[in-house]
Amino acid sequence: MNGGGIVAQSSTPLPDTISDILGLGGLGPAGEFIAALIGAALVGTLMLTMTAIAGPWAKRKITAAFTDRIAVNRVGPFGLLIIVADAVRLLSKELIVPEGVDRPAWDLAPIVLAGSALLGFAVIPMGSGIHLADPEVGLVYVFAVASIASVGLVMAGYASNNKYSLLGGLRAVAQNLTYEIPLVLIAASVVLFAGSLQMSEIVAAQSEALFTIGGLTIPAWYAFVNPFAFVLFLVANLMEVGRNPFDIPEAPTEIVAGYQTEYSSVYFVLVYLGEFLHVFLGAAIVTTVFLGGPAGPVLPGIVWFIIKIWAIFLLTQWARSALPRLRIDQLIEIGWKGMLMLAFANLVLTAVIVGVIA
Amino acid sequence: MSLEQPRPTDVGETVDGTVDYDALEELLGDTVVGREEHVNAPAFVIRPDEVQTALFALRDEAGFDYCSCVTAQEYEDRYETIYHLKKYDDPTQEVGVVVPTARDAPLSQTAEPVYRTADWHEREAYDLVGIQYEGHPDLRRILLPEAWQGHPLGLDYNPEKPQIVPYRKHANPLQPDHRGEGPESDTMFINIGPHHPATHGVLHVKTVLDGEQIADVEPDIGYLHRCEEQMCQQGTYRHQIMPYPDRWDYVSAGILNEWAYARAAEDLADIEVPEYAQVIRTMSAELCRICSHMLALGTFALDVFGDFTAVFQYAFRDREVVQDILEDLTGQRLMFNYLRLGGVAWDLPEPREEFFEKTRDFLDGLPQKTQEYHNLITSNEIFQLRCVGTGELPPEVAKQYGATGPVARGSGVDIDLRRDDPYGYYEELDWDVITEDGCDNYSRVLVRMREVEESAKIIEQCIDLLEDWPEDERTIQANVPRTLKPASDTEIYRGVEAAKGELGIYMRSDGTDKPARFKIRSPCFCNLHTLREMTQGEYVPDMIASLGSLDIVLGEVDR
Repeated sequence: MNGGGIVAQSSTPLPDTISDILGLGGLGPAGEFIAALIGAALVGTLMLTMTAIAGPWAKRKITAAFTDRIAVNRVGPFGLLIIVADAVRLLSKELIVPEGVDRPAWDLAPIVLAGSALLGFAVIPMGSGIHLADPEVGLVYVFAVASIASVGLVMAGYASNNKYSLLGGLRAVAQNLTYEIPLVLIAASVVLFAGSLQMSEIVAAQSEALFTIGGLTIPAWYAFVNPFAFVLFLVANLMEVGRNPFDIPEAPTEIVAGYQTEYSSVYFVLVYLGEFLHVFLGAAIVTTVFLGGPAGPVLPGIVWFIIKIWAIFLLTQWARSALPRLRIDQLIEIGWKGMLMLAFANLVLTAVIVGVIA
Repeated sequence: MSLEQPRPTDVGETVDGTVDYDALEELLGDTVVGREEHVNAPAFVIRPDEVQTALFALRDEAGFDYCSCVTAQEYEDRYETIYHLKKYDDPTQEVGVVVPTARDAPLSQTAEPVYRTADWHEREAYDLVGIQYEGHPDLRRILLPEAWQGHPLGLDYNPEKPQIVPYRKHANPLQPDHRGEGPESDTMFINIGPHHPATHGVLHVKTVLDGEQIADVEPDIGYLHRCEEQMCQQGTYRHQIMPYPDRWDYVSAGILNEWAYARAAEDLADIEVPEYAQVIRTMSAELCRICSHMLALGTFALDVFGDFTAVFQYAFRDREVVQDILEDLTGQRLMFNYLRLGGVAWDLPEPREEFFEKTRDFLDGLPQKTQEYHNLITSNEIFQLRCVGTGELPPEVAKQYGATGPVARGSGVDIDLRRDDPYGYYEELDWDVITEDGCDNYSRVLVRMREVEESAKIIEQCIDLLEDWPEDERTIQANVPRTLKPASDTEIYRGVEAAKGELGIYMRSDGTDKPARFKIRSPCFCNLHTLREMTQGEYVPDMIASLGSLDIVLGEVDR
């Protein structure tokens, strides 16, 4: 009941499956390319669809539930058509380009923000054979591309020719430096357990049984093996995706909207999209590294995967509805004095334990 | 004044806690050129070049440490500045200081070195009336635009004359800035407001940042100036002024504001309010206070939490209940216009039982809700991290700036006009004045939250009284003449404890049915002045939090 069978199939990456189905194998590298493109389009569409549901609709409904309100309920069943209405509204708005913006950087920033988050999904095993690529350094890759977003934030903040944006960009850098090191260190402790940086290996290592209580097998998900690291990672992840209480680079009541103050219309959509994709990418990393990836009973792997990342998304929304925002200096203090120490302690302890057992 | 606690008696204070004005006159010596009788307290007429000498003597030796209000006005033959002085220990001990200046050269010595609060008050006097203050550190217009021509409350002001608005080129936002300490400083000037998510209205805070820290802030007000004083001067005492107070502090503190006018006008015209009406007034005013404090709590949470979070919505949900009760009582949700001179507009809504039950239901549920707020807000560690020790306002500074209300009480200054200068039915009821000694943002929030509980106590007692009130003694209004014409040259300054602090009204009658001068002492105006003291060296988020903890309403700041 630990879903071991689901994990095993991910050895065939999605492009190869597509290539087999469409008979593209004969085309050589061109066929591989076409297959990879179709695979990427499928995964990208899945993620963008989830973002489209999350951004204009689910976020409103979830926040409303937390805050005693009703939220969208006029357009379509449960207000679901608000997604269409919002898309039309946002895309038809005028794109205002402020005077004195640093053009190429200002235009590129939203694309970098949205693109970097999408890139990360390439190596995430989503179950049911949906796994674009499985490089040996998958975990390193996903952290690397996820932090490209910080470059996008700085670009947006610096190029906007707006002081609020500049402050937001600076805060984003400070925050990035603070969380990135603990985040990677905690992930490294998991790598010690799994013995591999490959995503499929990490997921496979979690499919073993940890222990069995009354016929119920608890899988060796690293969230159960090392709950301390899990909690620490959740916090660092919340910092990474910049949600409350760590939405300091945006800080709507302080610096208006931080780095995204000057963006409107399509660019705003891209920035916003990038944020939500980032939340989902963060959730996907947590799911893969700590929650056994797509593993789960009865339902197909992809469904479990989506359930898990939505659960993490819900957590971020919960934090958003209930927690006050930290101040930037307090965040840095927590990051460097608290998180970093704990992350190191976790790493050293894990290394010792793994060393003794092995 | 019991004998067990002898306190150093100030000059001119008698043993039973009243003011001996002859002793004061002796203290002031030859700075005094005359004496006037105002309805609230006698006033000394002081030479315009000896203002500081007189005020220093009154502050340091006679203990008048609270400059409540500065009123400026123009007569046919002279300009006049009146400093309304009180004591924080006992606000019933009052004295006025009248400074007349010549019409052709209205120059008077500034009181700013004596009372910091006079800084803004004198700027307003200069702006609206046109009196010059010698030695004032920063005598600029405060409510009107810098380029405004003329002084609107002056007698020869021509409102028909078009105003010139100069065009100024947009400044380069990234130009070097050296407004910090020393010419070497590398600071950044940033406009927070007038359009900003956290300014609670149209407030413009000119901020100089040194990195993320505040090097200097200067609130720029006046965006919501609607000539409220002038409008009141054009209305008749009896009916036409009462609707305006609702529009000063418009976030549901309406009845508290109305009471300020009602109290001043009733004392001016010597009207006795029936006891039954006083109980209703007390109850409705406290309902307003709960509404206002709930809003303050919600918006403060908005500032600190950073989004429209659960706390904000919960505060609004609970406030809505009070709003419904007030709607039942007054027929209005925002601009109540419920008080009348000599009483209230109408009796409690029928059936009375239903009204009592609804109010009691709210009061019964309140402790649980307060607990919820404490769980969600004040016991939250991040919240404490953000609020404890930030935005500090020491009590001495608070007094210098004339801070009142929860801002003063959060700094440990024990002043509450409901107890110290009793009016309405407060004296007969059992309740406490809340103070906190933290002097920080956290204390100010705690004070408001605890005051809600005290207000609930007051309302509960009022409901008990109203329930048992004999049916034939329910007089809601005294017999007030249709046209009120107080005797010429009667002057009065009276304050009540509004939601934000002392809301005072100065009125001078000229024998007609309209006041010749109507001056509003706004608590938000004085409290906002303290922002600079609070935020020196703090971080931007703490400045926003401090601004939220001041609980200003720009409608009242700008009037």
